[in-house]
Amino acid sequence: MRARVIDQADVLKLVDLLRQDRQVIAPFCGRGRDSYFDVVTDVNRDRIRLHVPNPLYPPKRCVLPHIERMMRMRRAAGGLWNFEPDYAETPLALFGVRSCDVAGVRHLDRFYLGREYVDAYYERRRRNLFVVNMVCTDPEVDIDDNCFCVCADTGPAARDAFDLQLMDLGGGEYLVVAGTAAGENLFSAPFFRPATAAHVERRRAILTEVRGRFRSTTSWFAATVRYISRGDVLDETWEEIGNRCLECGACTFICPACTCFTVSDRRIGKDEYERVRMWDSCALKGFTRMAGGFNPRRAVHDRRNRRFFRKLAHYFIQRELSMACVGCGRCAAVCHGDVGMPSVVEMIRRATAIAVPPTAESASVPSEKVTA
Amino acid sequence: MSSTENIYLPKVVQLDRVVDEIHEVRTFVWHFEDPVDQAAFKKFRPGQFAQVSIFGAGEFPASLPPSPTENEMFFTIRTVGGCTAALHRLQPGDRFAVRGPYGNGFPMDDYAGKNLVFVAGGIGLIPLRSCIVYALAHRERYQRIQIYYGARTPRELMYLSNLRAWEQAAEIECQLTVDRASDGWTGNMGVVGSLFKRPGVRVPVENTIAFVCGPPVMFRFVIRDLLDMGFREDQIMSTLERYMKCGVGKCGHCCIGVAYVCVDGPVFTYEQIKKLGEDI
Repeated sequence: MRARVIDQADVLKLVDLLRQDRQVIAPFCGRGRDSYFDVVTDVNRDRIRLHVPNPLYPPKRCVLPHIERMMRMRRAAGGLWNFEPDYAETPLALFGVRSCDVAGVRHLDRFYLGREYVDAYYERRRRNLFVVNMVCTDPEVDIDDNCFCVCADTGPAARDAFDLQLMDLGGGEYLVVAGTAAGENLFSAPFFRPATAAHVERRRAILTEVRGRFRSTTSWFAATVRYISRGDVLDETWEEIGNRCLECGACTFICPACTCFTVSDRRIGKDEYERVRMWDSCALKGFTRMAGGFNPRRAVHDRRNRRFFRKLAHYFIQRELSMACVGCGRCAAVCHGDVGMPSVVEMIRRATAIAVPPTAESASVPSEKVTA
Repeated sequence: MSSTENIYLPKVVQLDRVVDEIHEVRTFVWHFEDPVDQAAFKKFRPGQFAQVSIFGAGEFPASLPPSPTENEMFFTIRTVGGCTAALHRLQPGDRFAVRGPYGNGFPMDDYAGKNLVFVAGGIGLIPLRSCIVYALAHRERYQRIQIYYGARTPRELMYLSNLRAWEQAAEIECQLTVDRASDGWTGNMGVVGSLFKRPGVRVPVENTIAFVCGPPVMFRFVIRDLLDMGFREDQIMSTLERYMKCGVGKCGHCCIGVAYVCVDGPVFTYEQIKKLGEDI
């Protein structure tokens, strides 16, 4: 195992090491539950928090900013126009990012890089990104009532898509695991020391213990994925979900696995425009409205149906090799109508299980045999 | 690591000529400034579409009405919103930009040896024009080719010169109809479906592909007529339009059911469209 151990006092040295050749973004604490990701500077570096309630505004913006300039369009002499693509090539490190958010980036990777077309903007940001994952081990601070990564199978320790993974072993020691060659290269720094079998054993024990400390929120997907994929979900259930939706779009904007964007051209000077893309939300009515006014998806429950179908249908899971839900619990935390992912999964599972009894299918088989 | 090509970057084109088709609908003939782009683009398939950028207005998806067998590139666009209106304001010689072609298109080569029946209403003829011209350019590959086309009034018939030629041509059966006739119209009056019941008209069902494109009401009635005639749902093809921002399966606006219309479509069989479960 490519693992090392560092002292808690040296974790900041790792941050400084990364800051030598890149901008580092790390979690900080505001007041109360408020926490946020910010750029590490000489002034704030001492206030970086490794154990922190996961910021609601996801670190997804490091690879998919909420607003991003794609190109400038300029009018030149003789009526000619030209396009100048605008790429972000700043090397960035995400420090102390949670496993759910790492899984979110992994999902975006498969969506933006792994399909018919590769997104050049995402690709550049992603290849300049160094990910330091922090395993959630503190049940009081790291894990809150809305977390359900154990159900989404993305945590509490990320399995891939990180360069380094930190885990608090207690007693002032952190285990560091390298996920890539770039991460392993950093092990040459003097403050790393070899991990022993005892350290690795402690990691295993802590993970086992932490898994048992997730709280009330569960989101057992299996049945719901099956019902949604087969089209078994009742219209009444979607309507109920739609009735509770306030159409604010918050669930999509804080979701680490949501991918939709809209594109807009705006004037930035004489004969000069910029084309920007920004996050868009399928919760909003205008999302599918076409020029001329025709909107194939008018009702709010159709739009809710769309969101959860897109996230959970077997077809898309196969296509992207993961659900578009990473179990971070943000949608559950921000939704005023209580139709975040865990609630919806429960609503669908309960309502459909009653309407579509699991025995119906199996019961019909013997009766057919009798008549034959 | 090498950098991938930027799929969002359009190529500049020049507007050559504007042709009035019907009220608020014009055909814009254009060419790429770079002949290399033109040659690359010309490999498109009937039924594919392109993303059109108008400087200062934005970008919108547009069907490709020409056939790859034709020389000229053009769009036929109705003004419905800000971007299309901005295109309508352009003069010959002005620049705009295009990227594409995108989408699956009609698998015309798979239809070799079959009868082709085109049923279009109003501006629904725009995407089908590409297939019709393509099929006529490879006439020997196909069996019977029939066109049933309807518009509200004679003045709203699209591609009039093409229609006249198709009506005259011996190798193709072309039937036109209008909802409301005006002076001088001697042809059929009624909805497109009424053409199927005209004396002497016989729509082949066996070994046939039907292409249906038109406004929602027309679409529903024609589908019913075809199914009544004995067409299977997978013999009926259509092409969907959706709000799209990227055209390459990323922005999410056109995602319905299990399909991204831009990459999995816009061409679907009626069987697929039914399963997608949204209004046409």
